[in-house]
Amino acid sequence: MIIYILTVFLFLIGLYGVIAKRNLIKIVIGIALMEYSVNLFLILIGYVRGGTAPILTEGLGQKVFVDPLPQAMVLTAIVIGLATTALLLAIAIRIYKKYGTFDIREIKNLKG
Amino acid sequence: MKGMTIIVKKVTEIICGVIFLYGIYIIVHGHLTPGGGFAGGTIIAGSFILLVLAFGSEFLALKKEETGSSILESSAILIFIVIAALGMLMGGVGIFFVNFLPKGTIGQLISAGVIPLFNIAVGMEVAAALLTIFLALLIYRDEVLK
Repeated sequence: MIIYILTVFLFLIGLYGVIAKRNLIKIVIGIALMEYSVNLFLILIGYVRGGTAPILTEGLGQKVFVDPLPQAMVLTAIVIGLATTALLLAIAIRIYKKYGTFDIREIKNLKG
Repeated sequence: MKGMTIIVKKVTEIICGVIFLYGIYIIVHGHLTPGGGFAGGTIIAGSFILLVLAFGSEFLALKKEETGSSILESSAILIFIVIAALGMLMGGVGIFFVNFLPKGTIGQLISAGVIPLFNIAVGMEVAAALLTIFLALLIYRDEVLK
């Protein structure tokens, strides 16, 4: 049970990074941390105690498998998260070209 | 972009090929052990990214390399679809992704029909796509900061 609470704690660290930090790169890192904590939570849901990898191998008795469905879903989520992170970084570089800084307070000041 | 110091360059020279071979091992044994196309592809892309980061690169060379990796990515998708269509032609049931090759014995390296071929196609695709994203960000940064 405590390990699920630890993933929630990791999520809260990412949320802190998004809310409290002023640097755009640090905000991107916070979003990535939130993503990874959710992935970790889904993988932990599918875990069975003493289970092996869900692959057909030679000495297959009545072994216990971990659930392969969350793993397939998380693999898709990792790919989507990679694309999202690349898009966010591209937008951050574009903002840096326009304003010359990563600080969101400066960007807001320059606008008005 | 600029390269790094001589220590980083020497260590990269030594371990870069080993990382590449490990990625190929992960891809080829995808139907026997945990791993497979996606994990091995990221490891191969990591070896190339390490090389670019350690030695640095010229702007024009980066552009050329990005074109090549983009072409490789598209051709990997084409290989994937061609294998799936071959399953439709030769499987006898007329649907995609039919495992038409002989299955072999469980646990051998050459077994499980077309699944290792799909793994290799996915590995090529993922490695080329990750490398393309990295190089595109690098070129974009160079263009912006100029």
